[in-house]
Amino acid sequence: MAASMHGTQTAANALLSIRKLRKSFGAIEVLKGIDLDIGRNQVVGFIGASGSGKSTLLRCINFLEEPTAGEIRLEGELIGFSDRGGKHTKLSSGEISRQRRQMAMVFQQFNLWPHKTALENVMEGPLIVQKAPKAEVEERAVGLLKKVGLEDRLHSYPSRLSGGQQQRVAIARALALQPKVMLFDEPTSALDPELVGDVLRVISQLAEEGMSMVIVTHEMHFAHQICDTVVFLDQGVIADIGPAEHIFGGTTNKRTLEFLSRYLERNG
Amino acid sequence: MQSGYEWDFGVVLQYREVFLRAIGTTLALAVTIIICGMALGLVLYLLRANTWRPVYLLITAIVEVLRAVPPLVLLVWIYYCMPILTGLSLNGFQTGVLALSLYSAAFYSEIFRAGFQSIEKGQIEAAFSVGMTRTQILRRITGPLAFQRIFPPLVSQCVLVIKNTSLAGYIAVAEILYQGQQISIRTFRPLEVLTIVALIFLAIILPLTFLANVLEAKYRKKYFG
Repeated sequence: MAASMHGTQTAANALLSIRKLRKSFGAIEVLKGIDLDIGRNQVVGFIGASGSGKSTLLRCINFLEEPTAGEIRLEGELIGFSDRGGKHTKLSSGEISRQRRQMAMVFQQFNLWPHKTALENVMEGPLIVQKAPKAEVEERAVGLLKKVGLEDRLHSYPSRLSGGQQQRVAIARALALQPKVMLFDEPTSALDPELVGDVLRVISQLAEEGMSMVIVTHEMHFAHQICDTVVFLDQGVIADIGPAEHIFGGTTNKRTLEFLSRYLERNG
Repeated sequence: MQSGYEWDFGVVLQYREVFLRAIGTTLALAVTIIICGMALGLVLYLLRANTWRPVYLLITAIVEVLRAVPPLVLLVWIYYCMPILTGLSLNGFQTGVLALSLYSAAFYSEIFRAGFQSIEKGQIEAAFSVGMTRTQILRRITGPLAFQRIFPPLVSQCVLVIKNTSLAGYIAVAEILYQGQQISIRTFRPLEVLTIVALIFLAIILPLTFLANVLEAKYRKKYFG
C-alpha cells in the first residue's frame, strides 16, 4: 500500500514485486509482512537499525533466505516456487539457480573466491553458469574491471587487494551476469573509511546508467544522493517509504526521525 | 660407552631381493588403501552431511567405532571372524586393504569435514548468487578451497597409512616389516634388519612429505603471498 502511494510504477509492470512477505528464524519473526514494488531503472535504498530486517529482505529477494510466507516476483515470475494450480511448491535447485543469475548480489564481506584472480572471479559466472564462449567472457570481464578502475589488477588474487578493490571486483563479478537488478548488502560497511568513496563512486555511476538497484546501506548521505526511493524498515515492517527527499527532509514519521537523529549523533 | 656389539649389515644385505619384493607389496598395499580410504572417507563425509537424522547418526556411529577400534583388531576380525560369520573369506592382502581402508576412511572423513566446514559461508553464498548449482559449487569453489586447507593433514594421514601397512604382517602379508622379521629370525641380526626397515620407510615417506611441503608452499605463495 505504501509502495503504490510513492512508487513511480504500478505493480503490473514492476520489476520486483513483494507481497505479504514474512520470514521467521525459529520463533523470531524478522519480517512481518512486507509489500513493496520496485520499478525498472530505480534505485531503492533500505535503511534501518541492525535487526530491522533489511538484510533479510534483500536476501529473500534472491532466495538466499527462503521466505516463510508471501511472495516475491521478478517481472511477474514467482521466485523460488512454482505456483501452478494455485499451490506453491518449491522449485528445483537448478531452477532457483536460473532465477538467481538475473539478480546479482554484492555482499558486505565481498566474498571473492580466494583461489581465483580478480579476472577469474569476474569470469566464473558467465563461463560456468551461462556457458558463454571464453574469449567473449574474458573481453567483457576485462571491460568491467576497467569500468571499476582495476584494469591494472586483473591477475591479482583477492589477498593482494585492498577491501575497496575487492568490493569493486565483486561489483564487476555481479555485473558480468548482466543482471536485471543488482542487490547490494551493506557494500561499504566492512571498508576502511578512506576506501568507501571509490566503491560509492562506482555504484553512483551504475545508478546514472540506469541500472536497477536495491541497496541496504548505513550511508545516509549516499542514500540521499542516489536513491529514487528510500524504505525505512523498523522491527520487520516498512515504517516509512518515499523519495529520498521525503525520508531525509519532509517526513513526519516519528520513528524515521528518531532513527535519523540517532544516526546523526553517531556520525556527526 | 662400548656396548661390544658388532654391526654386520653384510649378512642382511644378502636378502636384498626379498626386501625389494616386500617394498613392492608395501607400496601396493599403501596406494590401494590410500585410494580406497580417501574415496570411502569422502562418501562417509557426504553421507554424514546428509540432513536426514538417522543417516547422520548411523554414519557418525560408524566413524566413531572405526576410529576407536585398534586397526590390528579390525584386521583380525575381518581375517578370522568374517569367514565364520558370513562365509566370505579374503586373502591376507585383501584383508589388509579392507581393514586399513575402513580404518583410514574414518580419519579421512573427519579431515574432509574439517576442510569443508572451514570454508566461509559467504563464499558459498556468492557462488549461489551467480547462479551456480550445488555440483558446480563443489567442483569449482568448495572442492578446491577445501583441498588446499586439508592438504597438510591429508598428507599426514597418508604417511600414517603407509606406516600402518606393516600391521598386515600380522596376518602374514609379505610386506616390509613382516619380511624383516623373517630375515632377522634367520640371520639373528634384528638390529640391522630393523634399522634397514626404518631406512626403507624413511626413503618412501621423506620424499613424499618433501614434495607435499613444496606444493603447499607454492600454493600459499600463489594465493596468499
